[in-house]
Amino acid sequence: MTKKTLVFYPGCIMQTEQYSYEISLREILPVLDIKLVDVEGFSCCGEPLKSVNRMITLVLSARNIALAESRNLDIFTPCPICNLAFRECKNILDNDDKIKEKVNGFLAEEGLTYNGISKVIDLLELLYDIVGLDYIKKHVKKPLDLKAAVHYGCHAIRPSEIGRSDDSEEPRKIEDILEVLGVEAPWYPEKLDCCGGLLNMNLPETALTKTGEKLRSIQEQGFDLLVDICPWCHRQFDSKQKKSGETVAYSLNLPVVYLTQLMGLAFDIPWGKLGFNLNLSPVNTLVEGR
Amino acid sequence: MMKKPRIGVFVCHCGINISATVDVEKVKEYAKTLDGVAVSKDYKYMCSDVGANLIKESIKKDKLTSVVVACCSPRMHEHTFQKVASDGGLNPYTVEIANIREQCSWVHDDKKVATEKAKKLVEAAVAKARLLEPLITSSIEVTPNALVIGGGIAGIQAALEIAENGHKVYLVERTPTLGGRMAQLDKTFPTLDCSSCILTPRMTEVADHPNIELLAYSEVEDIKGSIGNFTVKIRKKARFVDADKCTGCGDCAENCRLKGRIIDEFNMGLNKRSAIYLPFPQAVPLIYTIDPNHCLMLTTGRCGKYPLCVEACEADAIDFNQKDEVITVDVGAIVVATGFNLLDPSIIPEYGYTHSPNVITTLEMERLINSAGPTKGEIQLLDTKEKPKSITYILCVGSRDETVCSWCCRIGCMTALKHLYLIREKLPDAEINLCYIDIRSYGKGYEEFYRTARNLNINLFRGRPSEVRPTKEGIIINVFDTITNKLFEIKTDMVVLVPAVTAREDAVELARKLKISTSSDGFYLEGHPKLKPMDTATGGIFLAGFCQGAKDIQDTVAHASGAASRALTILSKKELEAETYIAVVDEELCSGCGICISVCPYQAIELITEDDKKRAKVNEALCMGCGACTAACPSGAMQQRGFKDKEILSMIEVLSK
Repeated sequence: MTKKTLVFYPGCIMQTEQYSYEISLREILPVLDIKLVDVEGFSCCGEPLKSVNRMITLVLSARNIALAESRNLDIFTPCPICNLAFRECKNILDNDDKIKEKVNGFLAEEGLTYNGISKVIDLLELLYDIVGLDYIKKHVKKPLDLKAAVHYGCHAIRPSEIGRSDDSEEPRKIEDILEVLGVEAPWYPEKLDCCGGLLNMNLPETALTKTGEKLRSIQEQGFDLLVDICPWCHRQFDSKQKKSGETVAYSLNLPVVYLTQLMGLAFDIPWGKLGFNLNLSPVNTLVEGR
Repeated sequence: MMKKPRIGVFVCHCGINISATVDVEKVKEYAKTLDGVAVSKDYKYMCSDVGANLIKESIKKDKLTSVVVACCSPRMHEHTFQKVASDGGLNPYTVEIANIREQCSWVHDDKKVATEKAKKLVEAAVAKARLLEPLITSSIEVTPNALVIGGGIAGIQAALEIAENGHKVYLVERTPTLGGRMAQLDKTFPTLDCSSCILTPRMTEVADHPNIELLAYSEVEDIKGSIGNFTVKIRKKARFVDADKCTGCGDCAENCRLKGRIIDEFNMGLNKRSAIYLPFPQAVPLIYTIDPNHCLMLTTGRCGKYPLCVEACEADAIDFNQKDEVITVDVGAIVVATGFNLLDPSIIPEYGYTHSPNVITTLEMERLINSAGPTKGEIQLLDTKEKPKSITYILCVGSRDETVCSWCCRIGCMTALKHLYLIREKLPDAEINLCYIDIRSYGKGYEEFYRTARNLNINLFRGRPSEVRPTKEGIIINVFDTITNKLFEIKTDMVVLVPAVTAREDAVELARKLKISTSSDGFYLEGHPKLKPMDTATGGIFLAGFCQGAKDIQDTVAHASGAASRALTILSKKELEAETYIAVVDEELCSGCGICISVCPYQAIELITEDDKKRAKVNEALCMGCGACTAACPSGAMQQRGFKDKEILSMIEVLSK
């Protein structure tokens, strides 16, 4: 029985490099009776243009939401950056008829209209609030005996004023989900520290230092792995782990996985189906000796 | 049949306050043309002796039945002219005021328009005056006793002052002992006198005072009645210890099976107590109490083979069958002195209160410094028990923060400075840091104390830290110092948060029982922020101390003395004048529907049955004349004296002409 059907908005990064996020999502969501619908014609979420032209950002976001609205479905954005763009757009358009009218003027060229009927749903809301911990627990076949450090990333929890899926200063939803999977996820001082990703453009050295410092302290505190939900943070921690280790002169070998990959393991989905071969951090250590 | 009315109209110039904008002469002449007006006069200052005599003489000479004074607001001089009428031989309630100053001359520029409006206002007042009925004011006897709610320093002070004046005081305290927050403090700023040394004698005075009945471990359940005559239900909670037999020796607590297992609230959870306990050694009354939420006998019905406390008690004072007792007392005035709470800093997660045992609050530090506290006055880290090498204070945790508590706690700066002084005495070599937004040392001797504290080799950072991060190497604090414009990273062993102050968690519940209001910060609302700081909007109920808003001990004691003095203005009278403008029922019209009962905020109306007919009856002693029932009555049976429908409608008729 399908619990909920959602339009899947992949965003740019999952289709160009972070394939394992999408692969694992498409494995675990059917287990949880969530059906994803693919829609043709999506554009950029708009977020990268925000500092250049606010209106273009709004129009791009509204356009994607309008595509979901034309299917009469809510839109699921696993990338927290896309989610932020859409939620912010929704917040502005639903509260300001003048701007909405202007945006709809642009959308009219394509025969689209933004009405504000579709909800914008991120991964935490989907797993924690829509599916629920009890439902996830039912599907856990292989509880994982691991100690994980959790990284939320800034876009998933900030800014609190527009209503994010978890508390901006003390988020807990990932930890609660991990607990259901059998994974211990204690608080650690660097939990809310930046991944460094957004500094890549103009301060690449600083970016890698931030990444390396966070990974080093996690590794030093004896965690088995780092769990994240943001493809941009993941790129930093996973793909750039080696380079960031070199930057802070520390030998890093910390497995970094998506929450969805870990859920797949707990649901006893084969390793090969969860995109682990695409992780660049030493994830193999997670199954060695198992 | 009423006599044909003979109304005197007296128009006041109020110097030029009225006469500059209103043509007083024209108003006076116009009044003469109105039906029922026997005489119309004007004078420069109607409220002066000469003006008053003018009215008095006219009442006699012209045989007036009622008086209209066209002058300032009735709030200013209605009472003056009522007295003038009374002296002149009229019923004081046959005076009607036409407000032609605040509602006319002061708000208009155009003399012609203002004069026309003044004429209308006078005409309306005359229309009402034609219908005015003499009213008799009854008086109510005052119960000369007082209730004080809360046994902290505010309640103690208020109770003692009232009792000293010869009135019986019921002092209700929720916890097992008097003392409140002040009992938890070590020293008091700025003089550094020992808190319990100055507090405990006052507590003993309360216990020994012949006029004070101390009801500790009790709570107010219900309050009925009004100024002069309140009936209060008080629940005396069962201590499960016979108060007459208990000697306070403590053998029971020593032998309790749960000794050292239950969180000690008095010591802010820094140590553990037994299930039978005395909050602190100087507690008043000196009676042990069994914690019903933890005692094995009370929660499970058995305690090993037999309860060890019973065996240990030589006085045979323990009684597991004791029950709560509800008593009723009658009082004439109530002083509310329920104190405050400290904000739980864990709602500001970035300050790390939940993530490290070495991030504590000022009140916890107060217990650590106190020689009778859980560490016997040793300042130590809560995990390793070592002496901290560095302590950092953070002021305004939640205070002056629009997202948490917008107000200043008014005690935090001085508390922190006091701690710095005491810590420097105990740990001469420790690094002490203080992060502040402003140091507010405004009281007598406070600024001088601040100067002393500054010379104690402490580091001051002017800035609100962005994060307190407990790590293995110590606690890291990031703070941007706005004086040097630099970002500092402080590495410290112990962080003391100075939390915001809030109203008691159940302040609203008590406010509902007392029918008093709270302000937007949750504290109780005073009658007037400057001129009635101890009053509430409800007669006979007064506020003392922190429950009205943040105060230090000095201000709390002054406020409490003030509240006692305000209560005494009622208690010292044998009788109070009852409210005159109360509701009356027209028994012919009343259908007994009871709508008035449901809207009456004072429970002053009851439904009675006479000749098989239900009808409403107003208790004249309880009615406050708010008018809610008269507005709600569907048949017009409920009328308010002095403001009857026909009187008001006659005015509206004139004004809408």
